[in-house]
Amino acid sequence: MLDILGTIGGNVLSLPGILGLALGMMTRRLWLGALMGGVIGVIETLIFAGWRFSNVEATELVIAIIVGVCAGSLGTAIRLKGATV
Amino acid sequence: MADSQDTRGRIRRLWDWFWSPIPVLSVGFTLIAGFLAGILFWGGFHWTLELTNTEEFCTSCHSMETNLGEYRETIHYNNHSGVRAICSDCHVPHEWNHKIKAKVMAVKDVYHELVGTISTTEKYEAHRLSMAAAVWKKMKASDSRECRNCHNFDYMDFTIQEARAASEHQRAIDNGMTCIDCHQGIAHNLPPGYLEEYQKVTETLSAQSVMPPEKHAAAGDDIRAFLDNASD
Repeated sequence: MLDILGTIGGNVLSLPGILGLALGMMTRRLWLGALMGGVIGVIETLIFAGWRFSNVEATELVIAIIVGVCAGSLGTAIRLKGATV
Repeated sequence: MADSQDTRGRIRRLWDWFWSPIPVLSVGFTLIAGFLAGILFWGGFHWTLELTNTEEFCTSCHSMETNLGEYRETIHYNNHSGVRAICSDCHVPHEWNHKIKAKVMAVKDVYHELVGTISTTEKYEAHRLSMAAAVWKKMKASDSRECRNCHNFDYMDFTIQEARAASEHQRAIDNGMTCIDCHQGIAHNLPPGYLEEYQKVTETLSAQSVMPPEKHAAAGDDIRAFLDNASD
């Protein structure tokens, strides 16, 4: 449990959380924001696995994608709520 | 007058104010101000995070006195080269994602300090094996990632190592072993029954994953591949 919480926290303050949010804020399409966040989650996991798929842990990958999707969606929601363009 | 008719609650007014456009600021001003605020926030965040990596911070808790005393007797504290590895060098990953994960997980240490889980020598000794096993598990699973921040098979000159060390390091490369497989208790005293406990840790990790835990063994892999080619 602690391990999962730590992984979530690490991802929120890392690329999926921050870059995912930023990319989500660049679009008004929710699916696109979520997709970009999810892709960042995959990329980040690969970066920390040294670009080797065999080193990717399924749990870390899933958590990174979920965090990325949530952050991207939140970014899009912020765009919709806080911008007129 | 308008304010007296505003029936919105304080939180709702604050929420509406937060999302309302600002007609007095240009886009450039907002961007530059946001950029500067971002630098200040991130710099402050990172600086604070680094403060939690200092030896003073780690050992500021009463329950850390025992392992601090043990660590001060080891070569990682005082040695001929004058290089010191402090707590965070072995227990906190350098990579951002892993570091944040370790920091989040370390919140449990604050809880246990508050409730006094290891506040006395007796309690400390009672938990020593389980605490050591938790660290071994992390190190084994990460291929001793934190050890490898300083130590690397690639940088070792076996000809100037003691014969036994050189032989064992060669065996480690040949068998795909990791630092913690042999170097348990390098900075803290070992509890009774540690070998059996370490065996359990390795068995648990093997059962959890069919993949051998050598994620970062690129250095060892290189040497092994070179030796294989040379022998061919």
